Amino acid sequence: MKKLAALLLAMILALSLGLTAQAETVTELPRNETLYFAGQQWGTVNSWNVIGTNQNNAMAIAGGIAGYRTLMFETLYMYNFMDGSLTGLLADGDYAWNEDMTELSVKIKDAAKWSDGTDVTAQDVARTFEIGVEIGNGTGTSYGAYIAGIDAVDDKNLVIRAALNDAGQPVNPLKLLDFLSGVPVAQAAWIDTVVERNGGDAVAILNDAGDDVVWSGPYTRYFADDTKVVLIRDDNYWGQDASMWGKLPVPKYIAHAIYADNPAGETALKAGEVDVCQQFIGNVQNLWLQDGLPISTYYEEAPYGVCLTMPTAWYNMNIPMLKESAALRKAIAIAVDYDSIIANAMTNQSPSFNDAPRSLMNPTEGEQALYDHEAVKDLQWAGNDIEGAIALLDEAGIVDSDGDGWREYNGEKISLNAVCPNGWTDWQASMEIVAAAGAKIGVEITTLYPEYSIYQTVFTNPNQTEYAIFMWSPDGAGPSMPWGRINQFFSSSFVGVENNWSGNWGQYVNERADELLSIIPMTTDAEELKAMYTELVEIYLTEVPSFSLMYRPSVFHAVNESVWTNFPTGDDGRNIPPADCTDGYGIAALYELELVNP
Amino acid sequence: MKNILRQVLHSSKFVAGFIIFGLILLTMLIYPLINPGNPLEMIGVGTFARPGTYVSVYDSVTTDTRTFNLSDAEDKRLAKQLSDEDRVAMLEWFGAMDIDVSGLDVSDTDALLDLWRAHYDPDARPAGMTNARRNYFRRLNNALLELEASDVFVLAETDDETGELVQKSQISKTDYVNVNDVANVKTLPLGTDNFGRDVLKELVSACGTSILIGLIAGVIATFLGLLLGLLAGYLGGLTDDLIMFVTNVFTVIPSFVLLILISYSIGQEQRGATVVAMVIGLTSWTWTARSVRSQVISLRNRDHVNLSRLSGHSLPRIILTDILPYIASYVVMAFILQVSSGILAEAQLSLLGLGPKTTEVPTLGLMMNWAMLYSAHLNGSWWAYFPVILTITLISFSLNLMNTGLDQVFNPTLRD
Repeated sequence: MKKLAALLLAMILALSLGLTAQAETVTELPRNETLYFAGQQWGTVNSWNVIGTNQNNAMAIAGGIAGYRTLMFETLYMYNFMDGSLTGLLADGDYAWNEDMTELSVKIKDAAKWSDGTDVTAQDVARTFEIGVEIGNGTGTSYGAYIAGIDAVDDKNLVIRAALNDAGQPVNPLKLLDFLSGVPVAQAAWIDTVVERNGGDAVAILNDAGDDVVWSGPYTRYFADDTKVVLIRDDNYWGQDASMWGKLPVPKYIAHAIYADNPAGETALKAGEVDVCQQFIGNVQNLWLQDGLPISTYYEEAPYGVCLTMPTAWYNMNIPMLKESAALRKAIAIAVDYDSIIANAMTNQSPSFNDAPRSLMNPTEGEQALYDHEAVKDLQWAGNDIEGAIALLDEAGIVDSDGDGWREYNGEKISLNAVCPNGWTDWQASMEIVAAAGAKIGVEITTLYPEYSIYQTVFTNPNQTEYAIFMWSPDGAGPSMPWGRINQFFSSSFVGVENNWSGNWGQYVNERADELLSIIPMTTDAEELKAMYTELVEIYLTEVPSFSLMYRPSVFHAVNESVWTNFPTGDDGRNIPPADCTDGYGIAALYELELVNP
Repeated sequence: MKNILRQVLHSSKFVAGFIIFGLILLTMLIYPLINPGNPLEMIGVGTFARPGTYVSVYDSVTTDTRTFNLSDAEDKRLAKQLSDEDRVAMLEWFGAMDIDVSGLDVSDTDALLDLWRAHYDPDARPAGMTNARRNYFRRLNNALLELEASDVFVLAETDDETGELVQKSQISKTDYVNVNDVANVKTLPLGTDNFGRDVLKELVSACGTSILIGLIAGVIATFLGLLLGLLAGYLGGLTDDLIMFVTNVFTVIPSFVLLILISYSIGQEQRGATVVAMVIGLTSWTWTARSVRSQVISLRNRDHVNLSRLSGHSLPRIILTDILPYIASYVVMAFILQVSSGILAEAQLSLLGLGPKTTEVPTLGLMMNWAMLYSAHLNGSWWAYFPVILTITLISFSLNLMNTGLDQVFNPTLRD
């Protein structure tokens, strides 16, 4: 017994020594070979299983709105939200449609290799999609309805077949393009290993730790615990072939300390402990104007970044008065002081609704050109129109008849709440300003900030009546935009869906909008498209099923140039998007970084 | 009574505490008269305007001007745009661009600016220079360009018919306006908060709410504690055991944890200022009950109480006339402490986001909560939280001072 205890003690000692030794090697990452991040990884990594779910592994497995993060796992193409282009990564050259847009052919680069030295093949892509549908992971649920199958023509050539509707047309060819830049390819042989060791059980496969995963990207796992995640460069990376980058990315290590909250990350950025920060920093310009720190953003002037999405307040159509009265919906929306929201919640890191008038489009030039500005000019509003809102309500017969200062709808006092998760500061400030607008037009709106864990179960429930006005963001950018976003604003296909994370959280139904949404993906004529988008904007601005509160970057991108420099900027002519040097074509920045003091 | 009052007023500690508290109350009453209006009105667009006096630019350009030739005006203007650090930085630029600066005197502004004009190129990308540094030089150059701008600014208006700009007036460097003549001048002694609200106005209003919360909480806690303490102490026996059992149960659960749990479960929609005050009161009565009980036990067998009991007086009468007067001073002191801790409890709760609903009234805790959410402590906006902390400190300091003063008067062991 004594011996056993002694043995145990010795083992614990050895183990702890081993652990500290390991921890030491990590704390001693050479600063001038390491690129530090903040604002991506929260909490401990769950798994490295690229075909699983709930990995909580932001540096290695993250499909962002700005493009997939291709540090460890790679997509066929890299999306660039600056110009909407797709650049080949695993894929060689351009993709090709057949005439009916029912088939998409892609060729894989000859040089593309897995970390175990084998070739990346068309079979790998086919198997990645197949297993996704089989076990219902992110790939399967996002693309299963739009892709009928992927065929490997030979080792390097593949054809993606679109799912067809009853008329024999593709359901949505745009989603095939999303697939090209949104899905990380996994190795078929490794997938088979995982399936085998889990006995084919879908849930077990989804939750497999994936410690033996095979990757194709330039970095791989080095260290991960509850304090930090570190990736190390794979010096055998295939991409140093002349057909791809022609070299290795510059930093040897990619490190992300796990911070408790935003202020902690911000403090680390200021101290130069973080190089690339994906966090909202209020009044970010003060970091260089007042504090004189070597910190900069993509653009030197406001809005400092590229706004791709628009956090939106959704009206809950399960509440009868909101469903019935478009006048009430519009009155609240036009009374809100958006300039205050943008100045307060975004500290002006967003174009105003005067700069980019209200529509269904994000403020990028490409999307703004997709609808007829003149045709909807009279419908658009910039906000703070108290008189207009009051007139609208009076006209609709929504008045204060019992003299208590608040209006009634069909004899019932209007009392709505405006809800967003607690601690989401900028959204909370927006909700306060919405409530203040309500008070000015005699509509009682109170704010409510439940914890996120509660919020997410309520707002994704299609039958909820707890939240009247609540916030969520539609998607930002991608090859299928703006169709994808408009689909989220309108599509009745999301109505009644349990656990709905996909769109139309207010449960709004409009038949004409549904019809237009089904035609648009099949339309290629620019004029026709413009007419249809304009009609959708008209419906949106008349019916007001929801109202966007601000424009906002999908990813924030602030860099500290204490150690590294030559980060992408808006005026450097390189066309690298501000995507934290990791997402989509943004990863190109990693190959061009330089040390400040070499 | 007169004697007691004289004794109390003789205590310098009590008087000091009373004066501080009185001044706070007085400010609360008077300030809203000077600066009326809704304290939650968002007057400023944007976050955290610095304290100071804001002069309407629009009004000042249309105000009558006087001409002053101040000898140091130009120097001040220059110093604002071109600091000593900037001068050294300019040398760095020349160095990076391989420009010979031998013989250049950095303090010679004209020579420095000439050289700068000749060699600065906003599109140049000197090797090894970071983007942040290049941006800095671009800003510096813009500031210097402004400095070189002509001596007058021209004010122009758009002509409604032709759409062209028509010159209206000129502003020269020697024009001054009297601040008193400008129609709109707004002094914000404590700047604005993250919503653009006047912090001082909000603070004064919040102070009132917080003191009210403290009073309600104090009244409830003291009343409950007193009632239970009196009953337990005087009746003894089973009643005492029962009451003390409940009190002990409440004592071992940390009251703040209880406070958090109750506030959380009530839900934000129901959490008005009064409800929060009641919750605080209901969770903080235990120590009052315990101390009152022990005081009563020592009083219970005094001769006058026994006499009263033998005379057949009723229970309420004995408690009210024979016991309460003897512990009244103690109860007053306990009440003061309860008020003080009630105010602190509200601040703590609100800081955790469990305070009163945010849209209705400002409270000291909510002001700190929003300042923290907007990282006021990180971005140097001290005016958004420091005055609040100071106010809370002053209120509880003054209340505790009064308590100590009273203690010295009433507690025989401390009496001088």
